[in-house]
Amino acid sequence: MSALAYGVVGWLFLIGIYGVVSSRNLIHLVVCLSVAQSATDILLLEIGYRAGGHAPVFVGLPAHPGPAVDAVMQALALTDVVIGAAVTALLLALVVQVHKRAGTLDPDRLRATRD
Amino acid sequence: MPLVASSSAVIPASVVVPLVGAALMAGFSGLLPRWVRDLIAIAVALATVTLTLILTAGSAGRPMIYWFSGWRPAGGMVIGIDYAVGPLGGGMASLAGLLVTAALVYCWRYFDSARGRYHALVLIFLAGSVDFCLTGDLFNLFVAFELVAVTAFGLTGYNAGHPAPLQGAINFAVTNSLGGMTVLMGVGLLYARTGSLNLAQIGQVLAGRHPDGLVVVAFALLAGGFLIKAAVVPFHFWLPDAYGSAPIPVCVLFAGVLSELGLFGLIRVWDTAFSGLAGGPGPRMRAVLLGLGIATAVVGAVMALAQTQLKRMLAFVTMSHLGIYLIGAGLLTSLGLAGASVLVIGDALAKSALFLGVGVVQHQRASVSEPKLRRRGRGLAVTGVTIVLGALVLADLPPFASSVGHALLVEAADQAGLPWLEIVIALTVALSSGAVLRAAGRIWLGWGAVESPSPDVGTADDSGDEAEDRPDTTENAAPDAAGAADGGPADGRTLAADGGREVRERSPQPARVPLTMMLPPLALLAIGLGLGLTPGLEASAAAAAASFSDRAVYAAQVLGTHGSTASASGAVIAAGSRAATLGGVLTDLSQVAVALGVAAVALDRRAIRLRRALAASTRWLRRLHSGLVGDQVSWLVAGLALLAALGGVALR
Amino acid sequence: MSRRARLVLFAVAAAALAAALGVGLAGLPSFGAQLSAYARMLNELAPRQRHVTDVVSAVSFDYRGIDTLFEEFILLSAVAGISALLRPLSDETRRLPEDKAPDRTIPPPSPAVWLLAVFLSSLLLLTGVETVTHGQLTPGGGFQGGVILASGLYVVYLGTNYATAERFEPNALLEASDGLGASGYAFIGLLGLLAGASFLSNVVNLGVTGDAVSSGTIQLLNVVVGIEVAGGFAILVSEFLDQTAVVRTRQR
Repeated sequence: MSALAYGVVGWLFLIGIYGVVSSRNLIHLVVCLSVAQSATDILLLEIGYRAGGHAPVFVGLPAHPGPAVDAVMQALALTDVVIGAAVTALLLALVVQVHKRAGTLDPDRLRATRD
Repeated sequence: MPLVASSSAVIPASVVVPLVGAALMAGFSGLLPRWVRDLIAIAVALATVTLTLILTAGSAGRPMIYWFSGWRPAGGMVIGIDYAVGPLGGGMASLAGLLVTAALVYCWRYFDSARGRYHALVLIFLAGSVDFCLTGDLFNLFVAFELVAVTAFGLTGYNAGHPAPLQGAINFAVTNSLGGMTVLMGVGLLYARTGSLNLAQIGQVLAGRHPDGLVVVAFALLAGGFLIKAAVVPFHFWLPDAYGSAPIPVCVLFAGVLSELGLFGLIRVWDTAFSGLAGGPGPRMRAVLLGLGIATAVVGAVMALAQTQLKRMLAFVTMSHLGIYLIGAGLLTSLGLAGASVLVIGDALAKSALFLGVGVVQHQRASVSEPKLRRRGRGLAVTGVTIVLGALVLADLPPFASSVGHALLVEAADQAGLPWLEIVIALTVALSSGAVLRAAGRIWLGWGAVESPSPDVGTADDSGDEAEDRPDTTENAAPDAAGAADGGPADGRTLAADGGREVRERSPQPARVPLTMMLPPLALLAIGLGLGLTPGLEASAAAAAASFSDRAVYAAQVLGTHGSTASASGAVIAAGSRAATLGGVLTDLSQVAVALGVAAVALDRRAIRLRRALAASTRWLRRLHSGLVGDQVSWLVAGLALLAALGGVALR
Repeated sequence: MSRRARLVLFAVAAAALAAALGVGLAGLPSFGAQLSAYARMLNELAPRQRHVTDVVSAVSFDYRGIDTLFEEFILLSAVAGISALLRPLSDETRRLPEDKAPDRTIPPPSPAVWLLAVFLSSLLLLTGVETVTHGQLTPGGGFQGGVILASGLYVVYLGTNYATAERFEPNALLEASDGLGASGYAFIGLLGLLAGASFLSNVVNLGVTGDAVSSGTIQLLNVVVGIEVAGGFAILVSEFLDQTAVVRTRQR
């Protein structure tokens, strides 16, 4: 079970980066970047998981609740989600402007900065 | 001197003041006239500098620990988030504040500031930098890292009307958010092992143990993220794209603060969390860091010489000097760290002066391309002097602060038994300063052949800093700022969908350079001179570095395990240091002389065959810097894998 | 580098990095096996000490409250950056969408769609307010509720047209709420300083656990963050919408 759980993290991270590296469309690139981002969120949540645990919300619990999972990791994951959303939005704004100014969405055709 | 008690409000104020200023600026800027916005922003920045300077002075004896939300550690376990204010962190934060102030003064009434958003972004950048330098919590460090990054992305692409800044911003954003992701993964791994997010507590748990695969990989991931931000080889490919196309005042912030923060983060995490590992700080770790530093310094210097666009050249100069700071810090001694810290400050002042000087040239002559500016420096004498002086200060001209730092660094290298580092540093510094001096010689004195640009060197000109701002409702008939060319030989061709348009009209060139643009670079150089002449600079730097790198004492102070008045151990400078000796001065002057010599060779018409041969032999290096984000990310992944492998070797 | 060379470099590097990650992740404790002492302590203490039932919001806004202040400002920076990036440039003009055919206008939205939009947006606004103000009781809070609130405004556009939606997105008000929300967090933090405690200490009356008004500054901070996020996301949506719908490069 651990191998699958943590393997997913590595797989998502690397496949997201593969998408970034091989992309032909800037919007696709930005979305691949957020796929890679999700790998880190999953890692945090998995580190905080406790088998048989319930969410750290202490209302409406059954008579013998098990342990609660790690609330700190959940708070960190929340923060990371917000950061990811902010960066994705900023990148998309850049992509919109690039499309207008350079006329292309292909990252390999952007030649404005070059030695 | 115990100027400020640990529970004082100055500590949180140092971040709250710029944050509140920025939020109000972003929310209500439309209500205020532009000069009021500029004034408020400068006032907020100055207030922040004052607060951080107070903190730097007040923490000189021992670090000040501040617990947010009132959660002090209980039973040896840290519950809340702390700031651990020390003179090194405080000094870095003060430097950030100083450069932000200089940049804001420079922008006065020249830079259309899009209704206060620019000021808000810059002030938030400052707040994030201060938090990064003062925090003692690993996740808070990550959040500050991302905050500084997000503001930087927006600021880089600010001239959104041209493709170069946009592409630079995209490259910057993609690579650096990957860096943030690796940092977060490292944080998660460390939390899983140590059960804490506090740097001191993590260090305590890891101390004395032998690192296993998880700790090594956690270090590699953390280091990778910080090295991406610091633009160390092979994570550096985004830097010339971003620094070469961001607006000039933003370049000041980047060159002086952003890259150095990456290095600061690495050393901070190493010193507080990893340096206690059994077999941690050893010759192999030192070799890894030195290797990375040397590679960065050399690549930066060689690429700087190959540039014809001034901002890109300065970007590579920045990168090269960062390699030197990494060499200093990578010696893993407090003396090396002290030298690197003083160098950071001294060089930051000079680099900022250089960028601001280039900005004046761009403002007055509407170009930053060295061949195009040939002999057009006439009439900008003060700026010419500023740029030449800045380049010489970067080459460690005594008695500026950079020469003091250089002396410390050389002494540290000698003490570590690696005197040949001095030669490496001297060569790279001479090459990078020589490039700037060559440009100055061509622009102001008209020296050098009129060479047509070689075919594989792009002629990407700068897109101009005059950001365009119009009221949202009315159409603005004012002529635009200087037009830009995007690669390719033809100047003035615009890129809008309606191609074939004429060169954009230039706004009428002001006859004189405004004082607010001319004074800040000179003021920064003067501060560098003043610092260099300050007695006891070396001793304070050495003491600051020693307390920064002493893990056990730091942990004791944060966790409150025993009332520690132990002064940090470490090398202390004896009175009469190297910098003031004749030998030190001669070494620095000879370095300056070599830099001048490099510039002379670069400009000499007779040396054209030498230059062609050198250009041909480095063509492969220049081709690697393609500006394509896919390439940059591939190198990034390779670098991460390399770090993991090297970390495995160095930490076991 | 050619594309092929790049992919080869990536393949080799990714394989090496995968191996390294494998080694690193293998050192993690078995999935779900243990919880850190820090987490266990907080799960036990937070309901008692802070009168909350949602421990995550206590962690975000109290124990680690300064992190959330900076997180809020990351959002503010992104919004400011995007507004700066997408600001009207001198070679652009704004023109409402128009039908290319000269003899007709764009048909108005159908009454059914309009009614659905009214219903949906009211529901979203209500849900958003509930999520924001109950952050200390149930999963949710300022960030999540703020996004729901902003989407309530976006549904107005979906159900009507650009001109109507514009009326509901007054730029000055949204920017003000963004700025006020962000600085409001810092001001609430100052309450702690004024009371003689540390910055961001929870010095407001904690109330009774489970009440609609409880947990002191945690709820206040949630509200303030909700205001900021709602304003920020509404600005974002409005900016991107402008780019698609009305911004045109000026033809000379």
